[in-house]
This record gives sequence, C-alpha cells and structure tokens, in this order.
Amino acid sequence: MSLHDPDLSLIFQALADPTRRAMLARLLEGPAPVGALAGPTGLALPTVMRHLGVMEAAGLIETRKEGRSRFCRLRAETLRATEGWLAGQRALWEARTDRLEALALALEAEDAVRPDNGS
Amino acid sequence: MLFDPTTDLEVSRLMRASPDQIWRCWTDPALFAQWWAPRPVVTRDVVIDLRPGGRFASVMDVPDHGEMRGEGCFLDVEHGRRIVWTDMMEAGWRPARTEIFGFTAIVTLTPEAGGTRYVARAMHRTREVAARHEAMGFHDGWGTVAAQLEDLAAGLAVAP
Repeated sequence: MSLHDPDLSLIFQALADPTRRAMLARLLEGPAPVGALAGPTGLALPTVMRHLGVMEAAGLIETRKEGRSRFCRLRAETLRATEGWLAGQRALWEARTDRLEALALALEAEDAVRPDNGS
Repeated sequence: MLFDPTTDLEVSRLMRASPDQIWRCWTDPALFAQWWAPRPVVTRDVVIDLRPGGRFASVMDVPDHGEMRGEGCFLDVEHGRRIVWTDMMEAGWRPARTEIFGFTAIVTLTPEAGGTRYVARAMHRTREVAARHEAMGFHDGWGTVAAQLEDLAAGLAVAP
C-alpha cells in the first residue's frame, strides 16, 4: 500500500456507518481477527468483509493474513487526519449527504411501486 | 469562486436518485426534517421560503444539549438546480441578530449518468473565528457524527 495524503471523502464515508464505527472502536483496543470484529455485529461474513474493505480503502485499517486468520489493525494516523474543526464540519456534510441520498432513493422506489396517476 | 482549503469544504457525490427527487427532499420541510440532522436529534419547525431573501430556519432538539435554533436566509435559488444560503443574514437580508457560525453554502444538482451530481460547498469565516466559537462551546446541533469522531480521537489519545 502506497503512502499518500488521506482522502477525507473516503474516510468520512467509511466513518458515516455505525457498524464500521463500532468495529473501529473495537480496534482502538488493539488488533483483532476478523471473527472477533464480526461476532458482535451479527452480520454475515461477506457483509463484514465489505465493511472492512471500505475501511481498508480509506486507509483506516490494514489487514494481514496470519495462519488461517485475517487480522485487522487500526491505522491511527489516518484517523488523526479527521481532527480539527473543518474536518468535523466535513463529517457533518458527508453524513448529511448520505442521509439525503438514502431518502431520495427510498422515495424513488416508493414512487415506482405506487405511481401517482392523479386519476 | 476560489476555494480556500483552510475554511472551505466541498462534498461531491454522484447519486442514483433524480434531481427532482433530491430537490423534493431538500425543499419539502417534512422531508428535509428527516435527513438534515442525524438521529437522535429531532429537526422541527422547518421554514423553507424558497426565494432570494426567503427565510431558512429550523429548530433541532439535541439530547443533552437542548434546543438549537438555526436561522438563515436564501441568497439564490435556481429551481431544481441550485440553492445558496447563509447564516450571516436573516429573512429579507437582515444582518443576523443571533449568534452565528458564519458560513455561506452552495448546493448544486446536475443531471449525470442517469442520476444526479450533488455538490455541496460550505465556505466558513476565518479559521480563528470558527475555532473560537468551538472553544466557547458553540454548537451547531448537528454534531453527532463529529462527537463520535471526537470520542474516537479521544480514545486514540489514551490508547497505549
């Protein structure tokens, strides 16, 4: 993995999800195998791997294979990039944009199921 | 429009929803209240008087912080395409009489790839002013995510 400036968009998109934040909170205590992260979520393994992939792409975690287990470790330097007031504001806007998009898509799906014919 | 990375931020997202649908979520007060602030914050009394000089206001009930009032003024509205507002003025372009954060925000919707390119830019006053407000405990009431980040950062600080 190359060293580069942290991409705040990717970081905040990764942090916008409560499941991923819970995983990060666990990793603050130290490296953990995927199984230990997946357990408390109750999610299927492929879903957990997708969440981990998002966090790895953002540079928030790194993973390595050790025997038959895959271990995850927090990359604290990436998380530090989110400190500061402007980064905080950015987090608000990223999360807000996520919610707007989810609502717009939900309404579009509703409209498709129940078209308003106006009679 | 120059972008100052020390005071400005921009969020750009390609959304699958149509511009009309996103515009509706943005401008219908009942829908707006559903996404503007994260749970458990409750957004209420939303006023969206969608015209230049029109009032843009809401009240947010923030657990453990109480009521946060947001008051602003639309500067420019291009139907279905663009919204510009600031908290430095009230309705009718009257200079703000209440405590403000000090920003102008520009949201643009552009059809792209069967969906919408959504771009939100927020331009803040100087870093020093914003930092001072933060130090004074000035809250904009939207801060659940920011607070969680702070918790994570605080956790980092004490982690071995």
